[in-house]
Amino acid sequence: MSEIGHGGKEIVERILQPKEAVQKIKGLKSVPIGSQMANEVINIAYGWFSPLKGFMNKADADAVCNSMRLTDGTVWSIPIIFDMGDQEIADYGVKEGDTVLLTYQDNPLAILEVEEIWGYDIANMCKCVYGTGDPKHPGVSRTCNYKNKFLGGPITLVNRPRINPPYEPYFIPPLEMRKRFKEKGWVKVVAHQTRNVPHTGHEWLMKGAWLQAYADLPIDKPLVGVLVNAIIGEKRKGDYIDEAIILTQDELRKSGYFGDHNHMTSLTFWDMRYAGPKEAIFHAMLRTNLGVSHHMFGRDHAGVGTYYGAYDAHELLESVRDDLSITPVYSMNWLYCPHCGEVTSEGLCNHRKEWQKFSGTLIRSIVDDGVKPPRLIFRPEVFDLVMECAEKYGFGSPFVTDEYLKRRTPVFTIPPLS
Amino acid sequence: MAEEKYPINIWVNEERYEKIRSAGLANLCEEMLAGLKVIRAYANDAQKDKILKLFPTAKFDSATTKSIELLPRKVKDKIFDLIVEKKKVDVMEEFLKRQS
Repeated sequence: MSEIGHGGKEIVERILQPKEAVQKIKGLKSVPIGSQMANEVINIAYGWFSPLKGFMNKADADAVCNSMRLTDGTVWSIPIIFDMGDQEIADYGVKEGDTVLLTYQDNPLAILEVEEIWGYDIANMCKCVYGTGDPKHPGVSRTCNYKNKFLGGPITLVNRPRINPPYEPYFIPPLEMRKRFKEKGWVKVVAHQTRNVPHTGHEWLMKGAWLQAYADLPIDKPLVGVLVNAIIGEKRKGDYIDEAIILTQDELRKSGYFGDHNHMTSLTFWDMRYAGPKEAIFHAMLRTNLGVSHHMFGRDHAGVGTYYGAYDAHELLESVRDDLSITPVYSMNWLYCPHCGEVTSEGLCNHRKEWQKFSGTLIRSIVDDGVKPPRLIFRPEVFDLVMECAEKYGFGSPFVTDEYLKRRTPVFTIPPLS
Repeated sequence: MAEEKYPINIWVNEERYEKIRSAGLANLCEEMLAGLKVIRAYANDAQKDKILKLFPTAKFDSATTKSIELLPRKVKDKIFDLIVEKKKVDVMEEFLKRQS
């Protein structure tokens, strides 16, 4: 039975079997790519980016910028484009109509059928996607660093990535994910987007969303799950290390704050653009392809600084809701109320003057000061695991350092193609 | 209108608690978040900007807590020591003076 993804299109993996791949790549020009492009190649090939079959041509990128849709009318909010400089294009001798081999870590990854080589007004792209041209915006900065030409055309994976420990169990591509949901008997799944080690505010966001999604379903057997989908991509100094993020999210299940019957942790490779409302739409599309029915969106979803209003993402989602196959779950903040003696929702508790709000940044400052946060705020199993990750993966720190950036084990490796 | 004040949370670990207890200043501690002891030094708007400039790892949590976070532990130790020395939490002017 076919699996239908975003835009009502069937999800089709674009991956060759090794024998066929070896034949197909013979004689192709090799073009090395960086980590962002490698992540996006994998996302296209496995169906995270369905219905995209490859990197965008100019018409699609233009339609995405101007109307937040592909040329076929499917909602799409962030251009997925493959950049290359004029000089590189000349050096590699790439022309429209060519098929080239994309290599990563010096090994074959995918073939790209170059349909079009095109240029674009990057300043306009920034304005359309991010709503600003401010170079301090990290997405604008990334986009402005693109080289001046783009190669559009379909890609096909020739070599599956080998996912390195401890990430292997969490790499669950869309078709496999959908199988897992069926095995669990979940009829509704609510996605939790994260780049964080979870504190209890996050835990309660998930629990609240689970309750919202459960609604009027029968309760005699578990029918609703939370899918934690951690974004794994480019790291900045001071972020939590990836290993700590993914393992602590799963720890909430392992330690019984959730269970196998209602919680699963997974990852998506993606370099965050911090595009706020546009990234919210993008997350909805990604998770639709994963087979999720509901998606949590909090205040200032995927935003940065003060570029977006707290509820801009919600408004944009509402404007295209009929074109999305996912139900947004809008989440209110959770906080600690000393009067109630519990973590509670700002939508429930009325001891407003006593509220103590907490954030990932605040928890981090507690940990930095050598203090173990109370279990009502930060689960002890999560705290212990963060410390363990610091020793095991972080060269003594749970946060990204220069040493971590230099010496960390890559999330995936592209092996030689044999 | 009262001037906006932004807290710097100095979380009181055992070592810090011993120091303030010995100095008879345990009353400067507040209790937050289900039992954590914290001393809160407050910065005004101009002081906040100076601190963020002086210590680039520091962050103003504008979305949730409206507090200045992620100051290096050594810097917080200095603020803490100044609080113990001056026996009050209103020390940011003096702290910044000593930095310049």
